[in-house]
Amino acid sequence: MKMLRRALIALGLAGMIAAVLRLRGTGGAPPTDGGWRELGPDELD
Amino acid sequence: MRVAVLGAGAVGARTCRQLVTGEVVTELVVREHRAGRRSDVVTSLGEPARADEADYDAPLDVDAVVVTGPAGTQAPLARTFLRRGLPVVTTADGVEDMRALLALDAEARERGITVVAGAGMAPGLTDVLAALGARRLTAVDEVHVSKCGTAGPACAREHHRALGGHSVDWRDGGWSERPGGSGRELHWFPDPVGAKDCYRGALPDALTLVPTFPGVARVTARMAATRRDRLTARLPMLRRPHPEAGPGAVRVELRGTVGEGRAVVVFGAMDRPSVAAGAVAAQAVEWLLAGRMNRSGVAGLGELVAPGPFLAELAARGVRCAIFEGDGADPLPQPSPAGK
Repeated sequence: MKMLRRALIALGLAGMIAAVLRLRGTGGAPPTDGGWRELGPDELD
Repeated sequence: MRVAVLGAGAVGARTCRQLVTGEVVTELVVREHRAGRRSDVVTSLGEPARADEADYDAPLDVDAVVVTGPAGTQAPLARTFLRRGLPVVTTADGVEDMRALLALDAEARERGITVVAGAGMAPGLTDVLAALGARRLTAVDEVHVSKCGTAGPACAREHHRALGGHSVDWRDGGWSERPGGSGRELHWFPDPVGAKDCYRGALPDALTLVPTFPGVARVTARMAATRRDRLTARLPMLRRPHPEAGPGAVRVELRGTVGEGRAVVVFGAMDRPSVAAGAVAAQAVEWLLAGRMNRSGVAGLGELVAPGPFLAELAARGVRCAIFEGDGADPLPQPSPAGK
């Protein structure tokens, strides 16, 4: 019973920490432009 | 002009095709020890190609020689024909071959003859891309090359051997050897190849790039590989390599300074490795015959050719290069006429 209580407390703490990190994270949307572009003739002078 | 191509494998045959479709070569001698392959290639090429049944190292009455044989055969053949007074283009991609070739530099300079050490996709195209990228930087501190894919069976065997060997990297003024298959990095190649895990391997790129960029602090080379490649790298190949692999790609990243700030330039190219290697080798021999090489001696293409015009002509052959622009947040360094 004691071990089960400890496990539940540990899981609860882990969930709370994960929730804080998830809510306070600053990931944002990944870039949708840029990437590879073929070299033009003026870049090969 | 008369040119001999030694070896008619995947890269050799593509080199021959490029040479016969150009206007420089009036006679093409093809040497290949497999009679059937030799006959097939020469028949498909037509005029001005002709088969030569002699040994690879037998004397030749030509103006230049292209060596496209497997690793281990390139340096001895280049040495033989250099000593007969002929300029040579090699497609060497093995470390020992490259070391042996570069050791001929003083002799080639003395004779006033140019030997191209590595005119394939990597080394070769990657050297030229690095030279082009250096024009955008005030000083080059680091060059990092990676490649994905193989040409024919000989290239695939060398790829397998490389992953089981030791890398040859340049680090802070000295050579550093690390086990192949280590140092995983995720590299983005031009589409459609995309992101691949790349590892250290016995790759010769640093051997030609270090002399091209005096004072460079770090030069590394990596190759794309799968988990199975890494697991089996130190065993014999478990199955026969493909006659011709699919699309491949190269990526060259230069880090350095522009004025007071740090800058990174990333160039790449995507093509079938044998097609790209054949185009680079053919164009290298045409430049050599036209006297357009920067100097005599043995060196990589980055040191021997003007990178912009070389890549422009290569684009006309269908091998196009690209620049990685990231997410556009940081302005890319622009080419500087005063740069190298």
